[in-house]
Amino acid sequence: MTSPDHSDRTEQMEIDTSAKWPVLFFFGSALLWLLLGGALQLIAALKLHLPGFLSTCEWSTYGRVAPAAQNALVYGWGMNAAFGFGLWLMARLSATTLRHGGWLFVALKFWNIGVTLGVLGILGGYSTSFELLEMPRFVTLILLASYALIGAWSVTTFSIRNTENVFASQWYLFGAAFWFPWLYALAQVMLLKAPVRGALQPVVNAWYVHGLYGLWFMPVALAAAYYFLPKILGKPIVNYYLAPLAFWWLVVTTAFAGGSRLIGAPVPVWIPTLGAVGNYMLVVPIVIIALNLFGTVSGRYRALGGSLTLRFILVSMVGFVLASVLNLALSMRGFVQIVQFTLFTELRDWLIFYACFSTAMFGAAYFILPRLTEREWRSPLLVKAHIGATVLGGLLLTAGLAYAGWHQGHLLNNSAVEFVDVTKAMLPWFAFRTAGLVLLFTGHVAFFINFVFLACPINSKNTAVAVFRDPPNMSLGPQPPVGHSLKGVGP
Amino acid sequence: MSAPPDSNFRLEQACASDDSIQQVHAQLLKTKPEKTDGYSMFPLVLLGLMCTAVFFGSIYLAHYSLRFDPLVYNEHASREKPGAVKIVPLTRVQLGKKVFDLTCVTCHQASGLGQAGLYPPLVDSEWALGSEERIIRIVLHGLNGLIKVKGTEFNNVMAPLGETLKDEQIANVLSYVRGTWGNAAPEVQPETVARVRAETAGRKAFWTAPELLTIGN
Repeated sequence: MTSPDHSDRTEQMEIDTSAKWPVLFFFGSALLWLLLGGALQLIAALKLHLPGFLSTCEWSTYGRVAPAAQNALVYGWGMNAAFGFGLWLMARLSATTLRHGGWLFVALKFWNIGVTLGVLGILGGYSTSFELLEMPRFVTLILLASYALIGAWSVTTFSIRNTENVFASQWYLFGAAFWFPWLYALAQVMLLKAPVRGALQPVVNAWYVHGLYGLWFMPVALAAAYYFLPKILGKPIVNYYLAPLAFWWLVVTTAFAGGSRLIGAPVPVWIPTLGAVGNYMLVVPIVIIALNLFGTVSGRYRALGGSLTLRFILVSMVGFVLASVLNLALSMRGFVQIVQFTLFTELRDWLIFYACFSTAMFGAAYFILPRLTEREWRSPLLVKAHIGATVLGGLLLTAGLAYAGWHQGHLLNNSAVEFVDVTKAMLPWFAFRTAGLVLLFTGHVAFFINFVFLACPINSKNTAVAVFRDPPNMSLGPQPPVGHSLKGVGP
Repeated sequence: MSAPPDSNFRLEQACASDDSIQQVHAQLLKTKPEKTDGYSMFPLVLLGLMCTAVFFGSIYLAHYSLRFDPLVYNEHASREKPGAVKIVPLTRVQLGKKVFDLTCVTCHQASGLGQAGLYPPLVDSEWALGSEERIIRIVLHGLNGLIKVKGTEFNNVMAPLGETLKDEQIANVLSYVRGTWGNAAPEVQPETVARVRAETAGRKAFWTAPELLTIGN
């Protein structure tokens, strides 16, 4: 804290320069996958209410397009964005440069080759039957090997840190770096390499899917929220002394919560019961994290007007709370009896992956990328279009899917209603869902165009050079009163 | 912010350096939260929440895990331990089999058909199915002389069993005879046996068929 601001800034610039190309390429590939996966997702969504759409070619049948879209989004967009964000933040908080970035390029290339082959394999009809593990088996090795490099870089960067202290974001990133390979490798071995017996396979699959969302995407989103709130508000996290408790409690209980996806399934009944209990226990860390994050923003909502990243992080925090509430609701047997196998269960994963994780990554990208390229975002209009589409699309999809799923569940449980009538009643809602996805897709296109302006060397010449002020040091003293928070920041 | 609002969408300025974020938060972890005036409910509420979550979770787990049995797939399945001994009330007919097998089976046979010309059958016998007054007396004090069963005459002796068998055993064995091999007469109660035993307390001699036919009509 005694070092002058100036040297801090130079040091951070060094870190940003070292991270520039790997992180830019991670975000670039992530965005390409976001568009490609989004397009596939739209095709699949359209087929639900226009069954004749693209139905003549077996490559574009629903059973292939839907998993291809999900895999492209999760492994293409989600993982690449998490890698880019995670490596950058790890380097920044460890106050050390990202060394030997060339190896990260190799890993990045192979990861994306793996995902490409995997998505093509699914479209070509070589998929497996397990959710989120549909990619053909040979792809696994490519993905695991390239992940090993990326994960090792994150962990190594942490271990050569130049700081005395470790911040909450680092706990989550460090943990997630180990949980993903553990989940992925074990699920692959137990389901595809040496398959366990029939009744156990859905258990392993549920454990993997729940773990991937809860122990990879959610921690990365939380790392972003814990970092960007103090970073942009200039105010420490409220009740931070509870954060370690929340971290450990979240980690331990999420690991057990996977079985809750199997309520009513033909598996030994203690497995869904244990999963449901895991989800009940999650109430404690969720309350603590919500107090940490919302408590920090509380009283500073005016800062939202001045910060785009803060807006996206706030959306992500709301998404986190909604996803957690839904997760809890979907552990109640009575509720599950109604909404299982409806649009409602889709909403659970969508809330974690999109509303919580993806929006956090958007916020992070708007903060990080100008620092890497030293350029400003060229078009505020496109930025506004992106945040507008995200907020509106997110609200519409959340409300729409929840209502439609509830309605669908009641229809399905009513034996007097024929199945075909249930489908007919759902048609407008499938169209509604497509409209929501189109809205989000528009936002992604706007983001992508801005990204090209910023990062593509040919186009970025006309983009203004970014000038960053030296950030002040945070202090533990009494916080400035509301409304004066940003006054001391002047250049 | 002095900059025009649009510039916020072009660029994001930081309001705290990474280094200070880490130092401040590390300090927050080391020091306890500041004591404010008055009593803070927050830690207590949080502790209550933790206890509730653990308590409710444990109860739920104990109730719906069904002993972590790998073979139970339904949360509403019976919660009894497999192999647990359950007390099943036995009927007099079931209880009487043991007495019959020890005492009566030699003459009347396990089939209840007796032995032609020697011992009368019990299956479908008008004596066995008839008045319980008579058969209780036969078991108590024995039977001697001619007796006509299902149209056939038998002439033999049945030993008195009143000294060896208790009232309950007599009631059970008679119920067994009256409820097995297709016989369907009502059970005999130990109270009836006790009453008959008391009424005939002075009797030493065996009963005879004509004597019995005067009773229980």
